[in-house]
Amino acid sequence: MNNKHLNTNQIMRQVIFALILGITAQVYFFGPSVIIQIILASATAVVAEAIFLRFRESRIMPAIMDGSAILTAILLAISIPSIAPWWVIVLGVLFAIIFGKQIFGGLGNNPFNPAMLGYAFLLISYPVQMTQWPGEFISFAQGMDIILGTQNIDGLTGATRLDDVKTQLMLGLQVQDINLESVSQLWINVGFLLGGIYLLFRRIIFWQIPFSLLIGIALMSAVLFLLDRGQFASPYFHFVNGATMLAAFFIATDPVSASTTPRGRFIYGFFIGVLIVIIRVFGGYPDAVAFAVLLMNIAVPLIDFYTQPKVYGND
Amino acid sequence: MSNFAFKGGLKLENPYPTNEIDLIRIPLPKKVVLPMQQRIGEQAKPIVSVGEHVLTGQIIATIDDDLCAPVHASISGTVVAIDEHVHAHKSGLKGLCVTIESDGKDNWVDTSIGCTEQYELCTPETIYNKIRVSGIVGMGGAGFPTHTKVRLAEGCHTLIVNATECEPGITCDASLMLAYPTKVIRGAEVLLHVTGAERAIIAIEDDKPEAITLLKKYCKNDRIIIEEIPTKYTSGSEKILVKSLLGIEIPSGKFASDVDVLCLNVGTVVAIFDAVVENRPLISRAVTVAGTAVKVPKNLQVRLGASYDYLLGFTDYQTGRHKVTMAGMMMGIELQGTDYSVSKNTNCIFVDIDEKNSTEVVKECIRCGICNTVCPVGLLPQQLYWYSKAKNIEKALEYNLVDCIECGCCSYVCPSRLPLIDYYQFSKALHRQQVKDKVQTDKARNRFEFREMRLERNKRERTEMMEAKKRELKEKMAKDKTQKNIIEEAVKRVSSSKVNNKVEDEQ
Repeated sequence: MNNKHLNTNQIMRQVIFALILGITAQVYFFGPSVIIQIILASATAVVAEAIFLRFRESRIMPAIMDGSAILTAILLAISIPSIAPWWVIVLGVLFAIIFGKQIFGGLGNNPFNPAMLGYAFLLISYPVQMTQWPGEFISFAQGMDIILGTQNIDGLTGATRLDDVKTQLMLGLQVQDINLESVSQLWINVGFLLGGIYLLFRRIIFWQIPFSLLIGIALMSAVLFLLDRGQFASPYFHFVNGATMLAAFFIATDPVSASTTPRGRFIYGFFIGVLIVIIRVFGGYPDAVAFAVLLMNIAVPLIDFYTQPKVYGND
Repeated sequence: MSNFAFKGGLKLENPYPTNEIDLIRIPLPKKVVLPMQQRIGEQAKPIVSVGEHVLTGQIIATIDDDLCAPVHASISGTVVAIDEHVHAHKSGLKGLCVTIESDGKDNWVDTSIGCTEQYELCTPETIYNKIRVSGIVGMGGAGFPTHTKVRLAEGCHTLIVNATECEPGITCDASLMLAYPTKVIRGAEVLLHVTGAERAIIAIEDDKPEAITLLKKYCKNDRIIIEEIPTKYTSGSEKILVKSLLGIEIPSGKFASDVDVLCLNVGTVVAIFDAVVENRPLISRAVTVAGTAVKVPKNLQVRLGASYDYLLGFTDYQTGRHKVTMAGMMMGIELQGTDYSVSKNTNCIFVDIDEKNSTEVVKECIRCGICNTVCPVGLLPQQLYWYSKAKNIEKALEYNLVDCIECGCCSYVCPSRLPLIDYYQFSKALHRQQVKDKVQTDKARNRFEFREMRLERNKRERTEMMEAKKRELKEKMAKDKTQKNIIEEAVKRVSSSKVNNKVEDEQ
């Protein structure tokens, strides 16, 4: 059969390809450490998957070659601070691959987004390492030293703008008095947005999830913003900070753990957006994507059940 | 109702594009193998024997079943064998076939019995009968007996002539329309007369402009409308066609006749014309032969029962390792080789050069949901897949498994290349089996319960009878006793009177 429709392997490769712009922006602002994290993560993912598949007595090569494990690894690697010690990403990827994916039966069977499960695991277990973001450009050699633990990171780290705003608000400052600008965050988000548009254009992801997720963020933050401009940042701030675009186009759109009906996708994305804002604003963690996505993953079977499309000949 | 669009479906590229769609009549085959089993219903029973000489158009097998149509000799000659051959079916099962060797004369049997040339004067019943004895079944692939379908649609308001050509690459219907435009129109007129429908719609996909112009040119009947519909796969499915032309949905589990619509393939309409007006039973059909091994696709008008190899002999056929498909790339079935014969529903034969490693590895479902977007009936194919895989038929039925038209759009777009339709067909078969088993167990239970009841009743009746007898006996005995008493009394009386008499005498 002549079939021009992409197969699963091609889809995974396309998604990885679409991440390049965002990763480039990360490298541009914070140095090549993120690449080291990606390599570490991918290697761990492949090894973990191979070992687990051996235990499950299934074929190893086809599963590794589908690229899904590497995609999970990359998503996790670019979500954590690029200067986190090497064992953080290794543990995170191991958790994501083994407990996020393989334990349920491998590709297609996992109820949770593996990368976000790994992220949540790391954030809860190693909050210190998971919140030390690079404050400036870090060279390859320096990054290598930090990741391997041979150099102290004092003085090189900083909080993200999301974290910063939260701390300052807690100190009693008004939003108007805080510097909300973050060029690096803006460009990283733009990078992922462009990659996401590419995926939409190639019809690899459906528009409903990213669109409704961004609407969810916009609506929720707009409501808060209009209630009290002194305490809550504007929708624009939420759009260009944290992992908003990465979440909208690459994380929430993971087909395996997302809702699959057209209306269901819309609901799923919308509530992830709403939850992101709620957790960011009222929660104790710096960013909220992982928890928002995992919470909505739980709701997927319910959403899918109640959003079945009308079938021909049935009322 | 202007654009006839429907949700889902696929815009498919024709794998074997061609401009030449002339219908070529090919010479009589030397030998034909005619299967007794048609798509559904019972297998017809041969009424000829080996060695018998038969004439073209002679009925050689028949059966008294509304889901079955008789089989005719498609050439004149001698019956040389009545034995089992592998059918062109997924199962690869064998079935009874009658083999006739041609005498080269093509002598026809007199087919004017039940003549209906003046069909306007005939009752519908006469015409149904003519359709039945002419052996007509759905020529689009379904193979459903046409007389039954037409009879069910009595009193329908619209006749749809399905000239959409169900799948890309098949051009036999287009070639038929180009060759016999008047037959199409007149066939529709016959059906308008029989069914009493107000109008007939001839639906043609817009990639066949020649056929559209030609039919428009020959159509002088204002009850017949020729509609151009967008070329998109599954537009030719009966359910979808009815919806896009009339805006009516056929309810789940029902047929077009339930919404007073009769939908027939254009080949069937031509066959009806041949039968009713020209007294020609169904003994030949148009077959598209295409594929990468054939180079130039051809449409051949061929007698039924001719072998695939015979057809391939009229093309630029390349021998080698081949993949043979019957009935289209989407809904068709892959066959083992070319050792099959043309039957009433063989609309096309695709012979492709089998490229090595052409089959892709099947992966796990990643729930991407692309299948949802192409399903023309709005199902969630991946949910059906999960439930079918788990053999959870009840859940699959909840997700409307029975409404699946098995068009294959979902399998076609699946990035994991899952053979989804196979799963659904399996589930449907399992469901049918469950229903059948349930009927059987219900029957068995009823039988058992009836037996219990019968035994109980017998017992009761026996005891009642016994009691009645006992009572009767008692009564009788009681009666006997009183009688005895009476007699005794009488005897006593008599004896006492005798004694008295004696006494008197003595005195």
